[in-house]
Amino acid sequence: MDATLKLWMVIFAVGLINYLSRLSFIAVFTRRSMPPLLSRALTYVPAAMLTALVLPMIMGDAAAGGAVAFNPKAGAAVLAGVVAFYTRSTLWTLGTGMAALWLLQALR
Amino acid sequence: MESKWFTMARRHFPTRLSHPAPRQGAGSFMRRLLASPDFRAGFVEMLPACLGLIPFGLVCGVGAAAAGASWLAALGMSAVIFSGAAQILAGQLLAGGAPFAIIVLTCSVLGLRFLMYSAAMAPYLKALPARWQHALAFLLTDQAFAAAIRRFDAKDDPHGGARHFLGSGVALYLCWQITSMIGFFAGNLIPASWSLEFAVPLCFIALVAPLLRDAPTILAAIVAGYAVVALGGLPMKLNLIAAGVIGIAAGTIADLARERWTRR
Repeated sequence: MDATLKLWMVIFAVGLINYLSRLSFIAVFTRRSMPPLLSRALTYVPAAMLTALVLPMIMGDAAAGGAVAFNPKAGAAVLAGVVAFYTRSTLWTLGTGMAALWLLQALR
Repeated sequence: MESKWFTMARRHFPTRLSHPAPRQGAGSFMRRLLASPDFRAGFVEMLPACLGLIPFGLVCGVGAAAAGASWLAALGMSAVIFSGAAQILAGQLLAGGAPFAIIVLTCSVLGLRFLMYSAAMAPYLKALPARWQHALAFLLTDQAFAAAIRRFDAKDDPHGGARHFLGSGVALYLCWQITSMIGFFAGNLIPASWSLEFAVPLCFIALVAPLLRDAPTILAAIVAGYAVVALGGLPMKLNLIAAGVIGIAAGTIADLARERWTRR
C-alpha cells in the first residue's frame, strides 16, 4: 500500500474510533450506565498501554539482543520517572530527562 | 424595569424568552459565542494547561516528522486524532511497518480510556441539544475533562457550562495544532545528536509515573512492561497490544482480588 495513503487512512480510522469512544456514553448509550467491570478495567488502560509503549523506546538496543553494558537512555528515563512521580510536571520531567541523557552520553 | 433574574435568563436563553427571533445564521452564532463570558472564561482558564501541553504537542510534531509524515499529514494527525498518545503510537507503528488493521486496533485499545471520560461527562451534557453533545465530545481530552467537571459542579447552568467547556476545548485544540506544527518543523531542523526523539518517551513517563500510586496500577504497568519485552519477537509490533491487554487484565484482577480481600 502506498505509504501516504496508508498514513491518511490511519489518521481517519483512528480519529473516527477515538471520536466514537468520546461520544459513546454522551450521545450513543445515553440510557445505559457503564458496567462496573468495564469501568474497573478501563482504570488500568493508561498505565498498561503507556508502559508498553514507552519501554521499547528506552531499551531499543538491549531488546534487539545487543548486550549493552551501559544504556544512557535507561538511566535518564529512571531519573525522569522519579521526577515525574514527585512533581507531576511534564516540563520538569522533560528537562531532567533530556539533561540527564546529554550528560550520560557525554560521560560515555 | 426588568428584574435581575430576567436579564440573566435572557442573556442565557435569548431566543426562548424574547419575541420570536429570526432564524440566525452561523456567523451570528459564532459572534454571540465568542462574546459570551462563559466561553471566554473557559478559554482563559485553560491557558495554564496549554502551557503544560506545549512540550507534549512539540513532541507529537517531532514524532510525526520521525515517522516520515508530510507537514500536512502531521497537521492532519493533530487535527483529526487530537490525542497525543494515539498520535505517537500511530507514528511508531507506521515507522515499524505494522499493517493498517494492527495500527487501528492498537490505537483503539489506547483510546478505550475515552469511554471512561464519556461516561463521567454524560450526565452533565444530558440537557444539551445533540449538536452541542457532538461538538463537545470531539473536544473531550484529559485536561478539558477536569476543568469542565469542575465548572458543571460549581454552577447549576448546563448551557453556560457547555459554552465554558467549548471555550476550554477550543483553547486546547488551537494550542495543540500550533505546537505540533512547531514540533514538526523543529524535529526536521534540530540535529540528530541532540537526541530530541528521547522527548517522546519522556512525555509518556510524565503521564505514567504519577499514576503509579496504588498496587493494582503498579502491577498493571510492571506486567505490561515485562510482556512487551518478553513478546518482542512477535511480528508487526503485535507485542504492544498484547502487552497492553495483559497489563489491563493483571490490574483488573489485582483490583478485584484486593476488594475481595479487604471486604472479608
